[in-house]
Parts: sequence; structure tokens; C-alpha cells
Amino acid sequence: MTTKQDTDTRLLMRPLNWLETQSEATFAYILLAPAFLLLAVIAFYPLIRTFSFSLLADQTAAPTPFGEFIGLDNYIALLTGEALLPQQFLDPSFATPLLQQALFVTLAFAILSVLFETLIGFGQAIVLDQDFYGRRWVRVAIIIPYAIPIVIQAMIFYLMFNPTVGFAAEFMQGIGVFGNNPLTNATDSFIIVLVADIWKTSAFMALLILAGLQSIDRGLYDVARVSGASPWQQFKYITLPLIAPALLVAMLFRTMDAMRIYGLIDATAGCQTVPSMSCLVITALQNTRRWATASAVAFLTAVVIGVLVLLYLITLRDTEAGVT
Amino acid sequence: MGVAGCLGGGDGGDGGDGGDGAIQMSMDGEWADAQEPVVEALYEAGLSEDIDVEFLPGDFETGARQTDFTSALDAGRSSPDIFMMDSGWTIPFIVREQLVNLSEELSSDTLDFVQSDYLEAAVSTASHPESGDLYGLPVFPDYPVMHYRKDLVEDAGYDTSDWSTEPMTWTEFAEVAADVLEQNDDIEYGFTTQGADYEGTACCTFNEMMTSMGGAYFGDHENLFGPVGDRPITVDEEPLYETIRMMRSFMYGPDEENANPDIPQISNSDLVEFTEEPSREPFTGGNAAFMRNWPYAININLDEGFTAGEDYDVMPMPYGVEEGEGNYEGTGGTSHALGGWHLTVNPNSQRLDDAIAVLEAFANEDVMLTVFEELGNLPPVSSVTQEATEDQVGDLANFLDTFAVAADNTVPRPVTTAWPDESPLISGEVSDAYRGEKSPEDAMADLEEELASIENEGQ
Repeated sequence: MTTKQDTDTRLLMRPLNWLETQSEATFAYILLAPAFLLLAVIAFYPLIRTFSFSLLADQTAAPTPFGEFIGLDNYIALLTGEALLPQQFLDPSFATPLLQQALFVTLAFAILSVLFETLIGFGQAIVLDQDFYGRRWVRVAIIIPYAIPIVIQAMIFYLMFNPTVGFAAEFMQGIGVFGNNPLTNATDSFIIVLVADIWKTSAFMALLILAGLQSIDRGLYDVARVSGASPWQQFKYITLPLIAPALLVAMLFRTMDAMRIYGLIDATAGCQTVPSMSCLVITALQNTRRWATASAVAFLTAVVIGVLVLLYLITLRDTEAGVT
Repeated sequence: MGVAGCLGGGDGGDGGDGGDGAIQMSMDGEWADAQEPVVEALYEAGLSEDIDVEFLPGDFETGARQTDFTSALDAGRSSPDIFMMDSGWTIPFIVREQLVNLSEELSSDTLDFVQSDYLEAAVSTASHPESGDLYGLPVFPDYPVMHYRKDLVEDAGYDTSDWSTEPMTWTEFAEVAADVLEQNDDIEYGFTTQGADYEGTACCTFNEMMTSMGGAYFGDHENLFGPVGDRPITVDEEPLYETIRMMRSFMYGPDEENANPDIPQISNSDLVEFTEEPSREPFTGGNAAFMRNWPYAININLDEGFTAGEDYDVMPMPYGVEEGEGNYEGTGGTSHALGGWHLTVNPNSQRLDDAIAVLEAFANEDVMLTVFEELGNLPPVSSVTQEATEDQVGDLANFLDTFAVAADNTVPRPVTTAWPDESPLISGEVSDAYRGEKSPEDAMADLEEELASIENEGQ
């Protein structure tokens, strides 16, 4: 005679037994299902909702900001330079200067900032990886810029180039790099924002690369030295391949961050001078109250970032395959 | 006071009204500093002392404040209860039905007072463009004046006795400013104004200068409030080029490309980065001879050590062509951009009745005079301004004749539902032209095209 408890246990065991009969892959997917569900709710739902908003018309003169369904018209306007915004997302006719097109500004910013941050961060990491007296203090010095809040850091650069109290504008004009009023000039402001970002974030790259460097087995270098490998050969055949995955992950993070640049711009030159993609979302949403257009810009931003992330992930997969 | 308020809120069925914290009004930093005397005046004007009132320091810059309020109202937030909204962007909120209709809430006495005695141009920017219903209570109108260092100007040999009411031409003005600047090596600016790529340039500084030159954004001034899409766009014209050329002469000198060769340099390129406060600071610090700014700057200047009528005075804005000689009706002559602020009520407020009571108290002559004295903000009723005495408003009484001239020569900004889209385009193109990135002709032609696409949207 079976008790109730036995029945309960059997009921519980049945799905568990079933689980155990599944392949390893299916088992993994089932265990991952709750995480995917959570991701779907917090990441994909907002994305899909943004996309559905972006298919509606803007209503600037009505209580509800969304109008009738207009399909992809907002995207067409954004990609042909016809959007009713103070700055354009993309203007294939090039009637709008390149540094006033959000897509170009953001891509140029991401590529240049990540490139310089990686090179400088790599240099800093190699220095930090050496054993020398006072290494701890040098580490602190390198990390300090990263610890400064973005707005404070942006204010430092803003005040440096401010016409009444700043010293840097005059100096840069003196050596012929900037023109009058760098904070109102698209090119000068782009450079200011770029340098501010590099100054701050190289430390982040340095830290991640340093972690990669320190995980390398030192014995490999001893073997290389005994075999007569030059320092360059040691770097090329040991250091670089072994830290490549860490390096790519660090670059991936930085690229995603750089593609979303907003705060630094807002507090220095302003979105009208350096219009990044995120800037355009805010301008459309708040200044001109074009919610549907803002949604379209936001979705395009997500798509562009998504494509870049995919490129990284493909590269990363090959690297891992090469290493292991 | 707080205890009395809490006790007062306990009774009555409309739970919480009258007691739970203060009625929050999003104003600006200057108002927050003057909270005590202004709120005291509200109580004296009949507001129940059970109602606490708190002035929140909103962003000083108008565009930033508009952004904050757009988010608050779109999100349906219940705080603040009362917004102080720029007359330049109240109408879009009204048309979107995001504010309380005051025609249905205010007492008939107050509504009569507003409709018959308040400045008509101010009331029109606080009313629904179609129904005419009132959605905002004008709290103060704003028109700029030219502030100047009387001591420096008189030492340079000029007689300023009729300056307070007799506007001069821009050419005369520039010559005086250049002369004063030349005779005073220790000052950096002959003239400061606001020329940044921001709302203030589109609505105000560029608007009033080009109006005084005989130009207009949308032809005759009857078109300023619409109809959007069915009015001429008149920015690609000579008076606007002239304004840009004059500003370029002010900043870079007469020999610069696209500058007016007859107008001397009286400032520098800092003007293209200046908004209100950055343009005021050099003047208050004794580093500028002339400054175009709103009346709020008067109190600050007096507080910082200037003496009215001795080393500091104000005058009407200079002009380009005589009144009536402009291309369009309403243009030419001394012109002052009509700014100003309205009090509007958040429809999501939990304490609508208290908020309305606060507005009722603001519609009171003594409150207006207190605001004028404490903040330098002009009363929304002209007779109150004109009849003010030194006892009531202190040193500001020295400037009343200039305010009267400015009040008679205002140019409203073209507030329609399209204005939030149009204003950044105007300031962007004007800024490009000021900085020489584009010629005045190219910038204004581009602007005309851009404005046309906004005006024709949905046609």
C-alpha cells in the first residue's frame, strides 16, 4: 500500500527521471530556460516595444505622442537624411557635414576611442605587469581617471575650453590646432570629447589586459628564452595569442560603451555640436517630442551595436578555437 | 506653521488637502532664494496659511527646463504641482491637453482681472490658440533692456540724459561701445549678448535684432502664432543677412568676411558661446561696458555694488531701421523679445484646489510688486509697473521709464506647436552663420528649406 508521501515523491521523480534521459545539450537548455526567460522580459521585450513604437507616426500636437501606423517611414526618413530633427542620423547626399551625422559621429568615435584606448591600455598594462618598486602606486595613478564620475570629468574639459575661465582654448588656438570657440565647432568638439574619453577609459582597458597578462604561465617565457626567442617573438607567439580572448572581450565592452556615448557629450560640447546616436534619441524624445522618431533612432542604435557585437563574437569564437 | 498645516489637513473629507507637505512650484534658483518674502506676500494676499508653498529651483536655462517638464508631464508625475513655464513653449503643452484649464478652475473675478488688465501679448501665449481658454497665469513678462556702465560712457564724453527713453541705431550704439572700449583698456568686452546655439538665440536675441532691421521669420506679425503651414517663410532675406553681418562685425571686426564694413568690433567670439549667465558675469564683474539681458540682471548688478543712475543704467535696445520701415507689418524700430513666464497647474497634482488657491493669490498687485522688488521680475499688469514707487520697489524705480518703452515695443516669439522643432533649426543655422561656417545667404537659404519641411509636415 502506497502512502501519499510516496505518491508525491514519485510525481516529483518522474520529470527528474525524464530530464536525466535527455541529451547533455537538451539538459543544458532546460537549465538555462529561466535565464532566457528573464532576458526576454528585461531585454527583448523593451526592444520589440521600441520597434513597434517606431512604426507609428509622430504627433507633436496631441496628448498622446504616437499617431497612426506608417510602417517603415521613420526609418526611411532617418536613413535618407529627411528626418525632421535638428541633426540627421545619416545623410547619403552628404548635404549634411559628416560630423553632424549621428551614425558617422558615433562610429568614428567608437573606432578611434577604442583603438587609442586599447593601444594606451596595452602599454599601461605591460608596464604594470613588470615587477618594480612602487608598482602599487603606479596602478593607483593609472586607475584614478577611471574613478572620476563622467559629469565631473566632462566639466573639467568643459571648463578647460570655456571662453571666460578656460586656458586650453587659447593655447590650442595658439599652436594652430583649434579655431575660435572649440566647444561650438563640430571637429574641435569631437576631438575634445574623444580625448576626454581616452583619458578616462584607457585605465579600464589596462586593467582587463593586465588580468590577461597575469594569467600567462611565466614558464612559457623561460622556455622561449632558452630556445632563443627575441622579445618580439615572445610577444607575438606567447603574449598576444594568450591574451587575445581577454583583449577582445575588453574591446567588446569598450565598443558597446563607446557606441552609447551621451553623458560626456551632453556636459561638454552639447548634443547639437557632437550629435551621437544616443544624443539624437534624447533630442527627438525631449526637445522636439518626436517619440516615434526617437524610437526608430533607438532601435537603429541597437541594431548597429548588435552588428558590431556579432562581429566581435565571431572573431572571439575563432580565437578561442585557435587557443584551445 | 508646519504643525498648523498638519492639524488643518486632518479634518474634512478631502483627505490630505492642506496638510501633506507643501505645494511644490518648479521655479528657478532666483525664486527659491526669494521664497520667504514672496510666500509671505501670498498669505497677505489671502492665501490660507494652512497651505505651505515651496519654490523648487528648476534649471535656469529654458530649454533644459522645457525638457524636464516634458518628461514630468508625459510620465504623469504628480509633482511638482505648479510649473513656471516659459511663454515660449507653453502653447505646445496646452494644445496637447497636458495642463489644467484655468478658465474652468479660477474664480470669475480672477479671470476678469487677467483678461482685462494683464498684458494681452502675455495672456495670448498662455491661452489655447483655438478655444481661447486660459491655461497659464502670467507671473511676469520679460523684455530685455540694454544695461550699461553709465560712468564709463559719460567719462568717454557722451551725454546719456535721454538714453533711458530714446533708442539709438545699432551703428551709433556700436560706435559708442567701440569708443568706450578703446578708452578703457581694463575692460574686455564693449558689449555682451547671447549668441549660443540655444533657444534664447532663436526666440529672442536674433529675433529682436532682425526685427529691428525690418525682418521677420514668418512675414507680417499677425502670422507669428500660425497658421502653421499656411504662412510665408521669410528668413532668406536681406534684414536677416544684415543682422548676421552686424554680429560678425561685433565679434570679429569690420574686415572679416561676411561682416558689415561700417560697424566696428566691440566684442569677441565668446558671444557664440554665451547664454544669459555667461554674458552677465563679465558685466557684473566690471569687465563689460554694455550688456543685452533680461531685467533679472538688474538686481544682481545692484546687489554686487553698482549704483542705479550713477555707474549703472539701462536703455531700450538699439534698432536697425525706423519703425514701420521694415519689410513686414510690426517690424523696424527698437524691438524687445517678449519673454516671460506663466504658472500652470499639473493635472496629476493630488492637491488641485490648493494649487488653484496659490494661483489666485498670485493675481494680486501687492504680490506682483513684491516679486518685482525681490526678483526684478516685471509685473504682468503694466499699470502696476508704471505706478510703482521707490517705496514699493526700491532702486528699480529708476528704470521704470525704460521698461515702459520696452513694453510698448515687444516682439513675441512665434510660438506654435511647430516651434519646438523650428527653434533648434533657427539657432543652429544662425550659429553656423555667426561663426562663419556658412555665409549668411547660405545659412538662411538652408533655414528656409528646413522650416518649410517642418511647416508642411502633415499637409
